[in-house]
Amino acid sequence: MEKNRIIELFEKDQERKGKYFMPFLTAGDPTINQFKKLVKAIEPYSDILEIGIPFSDPIADGPTIQEANQRAFEAGINTKVALEAIKEIRKGTGKPIVILTYYNILIQGAETIEDALNMIFKKMKESGVDGIVIGDLPIEEAGLTLKACEKHDICLIFLIAPSTTNDRLEKILKVSRGFIYLISVMGVTGARENVAQITKNIIKKVKQKTKEILPVLVGFGISQPKHVRTIIEAGADGVIIGSAIINIIKKNLNDHEKMEADVIDFASSIKKAMKEAN
Amino acid sequence: MDYIDKYPDKLGKFGEFGGMFAPEILMPALNELIEAYEKHVCDERFMNELNQILKDYSGRPTPLYFAKRYSEFIGCKVYLKREDLNHGGAHKINNVMGQALLAKKMGKTKLVAETGAGQHGFATAIAGAYFGMPTKVFMGEVDIKRQAYNVYRMQLLGTEVVPVKSGSKTLKDAVNEGLRYWISNLQDTHYLMGSVVGPHPYPLIVRDFQRIIGKEIKEQIIKLENKLPNAIIACIGGGSNAIGAFYEFIDDDAIQLIGVEAAGKGKETNKHSIALGLGRRGVLHGAMQYLLQNEYGNIIETHSISAGLDYPGVGPEHCHLKELSRLKVGEANDNETLEAFKNLSQIEGIIPALESAHALAYLEKNRKDFSTLDIVIVNLSGSGSKDLSIVAEHVDFKIKPKNLLL
Repeated sequence: MEKNRIIELFEKDQERKGKYFMPFLTAGDPTINQFKKLVKAIEPYSDILEIGIPFSDPIADGPTIQEANQRAFEAGINTKVALEAIKEIRKGTGKPIVILTYYNILIQGAETIEDALNMIFKKMKESGVDGIVIGDLPIEEAGLTLKACEKHDICLIFLIAPSTTNDRLEKILKVSRGFIYLISVMGVTGARENVAQITKNIIKKVKQKTKEILPVLVGFGISQPKHVRTIIEAGADGVIIGSAIINIIKKNLNDHEKMEADVIDFASSIKKAMKEAN
Repeated sequence: MDYIDKYPDKLGKFGEFGGMFAPEILMPALNELIEAYEKHVCDERFMNELNQILKDYSGRPTPLYFAKRYSEFIGCKVYLKREDLNHGGAHKINNVMGQALLAKKMGKTKLVAETGAGQHGFATAIAGAYFGMPTKVFMGEVDIKRQAYNVYRMQLLGTEVVPVKSGSKTLKDAVNEGLRYWISNLQDTHYLMGSVVGPHPYPLIVRDFQRIIGKEIKEQIIKLENKLPNAIIACIGGGSNAIGAFYEFIDDDAIQLIGVEAAGKGKETNKHSIALGLGRRGVLHGAMQYLLQNEYGNIIETHSISAGLDYPGVGPEHCHLKELSRLKVGEANDNETLEAFKNLSQIEGIIPALESAHALAYLEKNRKDFSTLDIVIVNLSGSGSKDLSIVAEHVDFKIKPKNLLL
């Protein structure tokens, strides 16, 4: 089996000198083809690609991503189509690919949950997926998923929130693989105007605990280069940006070329801000 | 059976159902709620305080009424548990007063809830006013149109009704939006779940606040008949009135417990809400349960004439009881329900909620299962005054005021 690309990426950078940008796109938004084009456009500016497989009832997502899901469903997205698209994307990139979805999407198509999980992670691995974030799977419920992920060499990436208590944090760090997805605010996904003090504090707190174990990427609410600088300066290893990119898609639904160009402009401004902060 | 007080386990599991499939950001709040449950709800003083409120304010205990003429119509002894006579017109009050009192003890100052038909929203608005807690209720735009009467009532009580525009714009989307709001306001707000659904500990907490229905039934029927009933019938959407009526009787194996789901426009159409009967296991709103979903795990839209049963999932404990073959699952469609709605109104002078009329419709359809001396208790979970506009609009329904003017 080829090496997991997330593990490889961070092994090369043990001292955590690099700063990582993980943009998020919803598979199938606004159409299957345009989604593939957008991934290709943003790939050169990103270090890890995060791709959402939509769920009908995403409770941790704000209106921006819900609308993206809706467009994707209308374009005919489902798990099978999404993984086919990812397989194609994989041919054009060696960068790690991380899936974001909800648990119910992963437990379909088999009698037992174990079998369903093994089936889907096997397919993901074959499609070139390296990691997965599951919006509604806390550590208490993650036993079977951890086992299946380990078997198929996929990093199960856990979320940590500002509300996560210290003893939960310890437990999560013990089983996490790849990196930590740190939620920067007490809220759902969606672009925000400012980075709150709570975000800087939580980054410092989590970084202290994870220093030598896992990189910390920060997401939720980040939408501007100045946010990126603040977050990197607070000690994060990288940023995750979703809703701000999806807003660009939404604004340009009638002009796919401009959509691509604007996404590229945005991604390069983020990458630039990260370099400046370094 | 040896069932009572055995479930859920520490992780909130009823067999393989239930659990805490919630975003990490909610977990500390859910754990805080578990602690509060253990500290307060398991304390006799808390329950005494709650029971006093329910007695003085809601008129509990509600009657167990022998429906003489309806019994003759059916052909067995039918008792109605009159939850419709509660303040607010439904069993929902048992749960909202309990949770609001618990929220107070936890130091929360605000309430947020979801609502489908508006019954739980209205009940939450009552609790918000009673305890002086600012209240927000999320309600789908489709439901706001269907249930304008309840929207006015909530607003009159000072509650802010927030329209939900996402997804199918009904109950499940109101739950999504309510939870999203809660995620952003955990510090001072309690999420007041309306049924035995959602992540642990909600199915446990709501069940314990609804158990009072079955406890009263047990005392009342012994007093009236000096024996236990042959069957208890209740409608199941999320399933809070049903679990409340059933729970005290689960270990009495001889008593049939029958949960009736909404067959909407028919089992063979896609327009129904038969989650227990036709759903597949899956995870929604924090719990493993039977769900109406497509092959990829996306939730499909449901239908029922009663907004309170129009939900794609069902409480995890009902799923477990079905697996154990302790719960018999039945169904009634829109037309059968309307017929029962009319029958009870005309035979007993009691207008049942459309939700509760599903339980009556099941009994009417299956009356041959019971003999003359059998005692059947139907949980009349709510009053039908809220449903009159829906019923009047229904094409198959013959009674219309305007007919008088022809």
